[in-house]
Amino acid sequence: MTLLKKMSVWVAYLAVLLLLPQLFDSILAISVFNQMAIAIVFALSYNMLLGQGGMLSFGHAVYFGMGGFLAVHALLMLETETVHFSIIWIPLIGGLFGLLAAIFIGSFSTRKAGTVFAMISLGIGELIAASSLIFVDFFGGEAGISGDRTYGPTFFGIDFAQNVEVYYLAAGWVFISTVFMYLFTQTPAGRMANAVRDNPVRAEFIGYSARHVRFISFCASGLFAGIAGGLFALNYEFITEENLNAATSGRVLLMAYIGGLGYFIGPIIGAVLLTLMNSLLSNYTELWMLYLGILFLLTVMFLPRGFAGFIMMHQLAWVRGKLRDLVVPYLMTGIPALTFMLSLIALIELVHAEAESLHIYGLTLDPSLEGTWIVLVVIAAAALYGTRRSLPQLRAAWHSANHIPDEER
Amino acid sequence: MAILSLKNVHKSFGNTQIIRGVSLDIEQGEKHAIIGPNGAGKSTLYHLISGLYRVTSGTIELRQQPIHNRAPYEISRLGLARSFQVTNIFPRLNVFENVRCALLWSHGFRYSFWHLLGRQGELNDSAMHVLDQIGLKDKARYPAGELAYAQQRALELGIAIASGAEVIMLDEPVAGMSHSEAENAVQLIRRITEGKTLVMVEHDMNIVFDVADRITVLVYGEVIASDVPAAIRGNPKVQEAYLGEVATSA
Repeated sequence: MTLLKKMSVWVAYLAVLLLLPQLFDSILAISVFNQMAIAIVFALSYNMLLGQGGMLSFGHAVYFGMGGFLAVHALLMLETETVHFSIIWIPLIGGLFGLLAAIFIGSFSTRKAGTVFAMISLGIGELIAASSLIFVDFFGGEAGISGDRTYGPTFFGIDFAQNVEVYYLAAGWVFISTVFMYLFTQTPAGRMANAVRDNPVRAEFIGYSARHVRFISFCASGLFAGIAGGLFALNYEFITEENLNAATSGRVLLMAYIGGLGYFIGPIIGAVLLTLMNSLLSNYTELWMLYLGILFLLTVMFLPRGFAGFIMMHQLAWVRGKLRDLVVPYLMTGIPALTFMLSLIALIELVHAEAESLHIYGLTLDPSLEGTWIVLVVIAAAALYGTRRSLPQLRAAWHSANHIPDEER
Repeated sequence: MAILSLKNVHKSFGNTQIIRGVSLDIEQGEKHAIIGPNGAGKSTLYHLISGLYRVTSGTIELRQQPIHNRAPYEISRLGLARSFQVTNIFPRLNVFENVRCALLWSHGFRYSFWHLLGRQGELNDSAMHVLDQIGLKDKARYPAGELAYAQQRALELGIAIASGAEVIMLDEPVAGMSHSEAENAVQLIRRITEGKTLVMVEHDMNIVFDVADRITVLVYGEVIASDVPAAIRGNPKVQEAYLGEVATSA
């Protein structure tokens, strides 16, 4: 039964991956899905380090970027007919190069976890980013390098000229990568990674070298980051120094953290959420990075276990059939809280709009009128007051939904 | 034949000598207690034997094989397991996983990433058996960090004995327990160390004289006596250095 249940989760995952382009088939949607696919593999690989292995890395984009660069070089070699194989294997090439880089760098960086590891990862990240401007033949300088994915033999007649064809290829790799990363967590090496994260000293006294355990996770993580880099190369057909620098490393950290480090699906949620913010929100506002920062801040402060953790918090209420009791209190707090945030966003956008009039939520606001500001501030204040007033009821409802009476124990 | 043998072991931190020439032989199957006032160097001695600290000079042998200055994981693989004075478990793993991790190496899994743990029937049965022994079978799925204190101490013990090590070193296994909890813990220790070599640091003299076949008294980093309990009780040097102190404070 549990096996069947587990299998059905994977079947549903595969079905969602395959059906997405059927439901949304615009060019924009396909391009967003491709970004999501890349981000999911990248964020899951990052979580092998931080969530499962307790290694805080500020340089994970190195393995992503290295995989991506080699993948583009492989595309170029296909173009010049130096080699001859289908481009469906490009992500694997990226992965193997990511693995190679991780074996080399991990051999000394995994000696210690904690601050030492974090600082080394930061240093290596800067080092590689700097050398990308020095070794121009491989990295292509500031412009990066570009290739063309339509060379090489076709795969059952598909030449991957269309973005949607690349999506299905990426979806396949996402599925395979997710399965293998999940299976890794179920192996002795994967479980010892958790043990070393929790207590590296004790792990040594049950026969395991904490360093070797970390090294194995680190290499596996580099492999999958490289696969993500290969997918990136296939999707965009170019790659630059920006894809292996600290900004990209920071973004994958945000994805994994906001999604939830403690859960396998956390990074998937984070990857989907941040890709949506990145590609959709940026169409509406120049300030989307600010909102991303605020989201990260709110997550760290109020949802330390991320969105996945927030969802899992409801498990007990769900099992006990008390979820329905939470709906009204959630709305009572949620509506004013949302109003507060929306009015705050309007105020921020108003500041940013300077003299021009602002189109937001289907309204046109004029920043030169004092009344606009006053009304927004009043709405925000009232909404904040409403949120604070309704919070005790929400707490009480939460408590009663999750409290097990003694006679049921 | 001594299974664990220390010869003239010294340890200093900077200019401070903590262990000053300890020689000690522990026989196979013996229940050996190490006692001494606070600051005598008992925990340091444990850390030296188990590989957490390097010795300044001297040798430590396990089954005639030198183990001093080797990494803790190497010593553990040779069949020496230890527990800690401060509870030292894997808090975010559940109780079952804690014990299963402790079994992995002795079951030959090494650093495997090609075995699925769920399918290792023998391994999982052994883990459940250990949980049964330490009385935590019904808490198997609990996060270890959320157990009650006495249960965490029992788990600590479970992790130490899981690998089936020949030599088991316990560091104040009943510290901080209530009287009845301590009584249960002692019975548990007797049961699970049957036929094995036990080395134990303990402050509770009733337990020490109850469990131990031999007692070593450590004072300021030196062994002042090592003998059977009756002889230790009658030893004037020990009475002066240690038992007298307990008697007056009690």
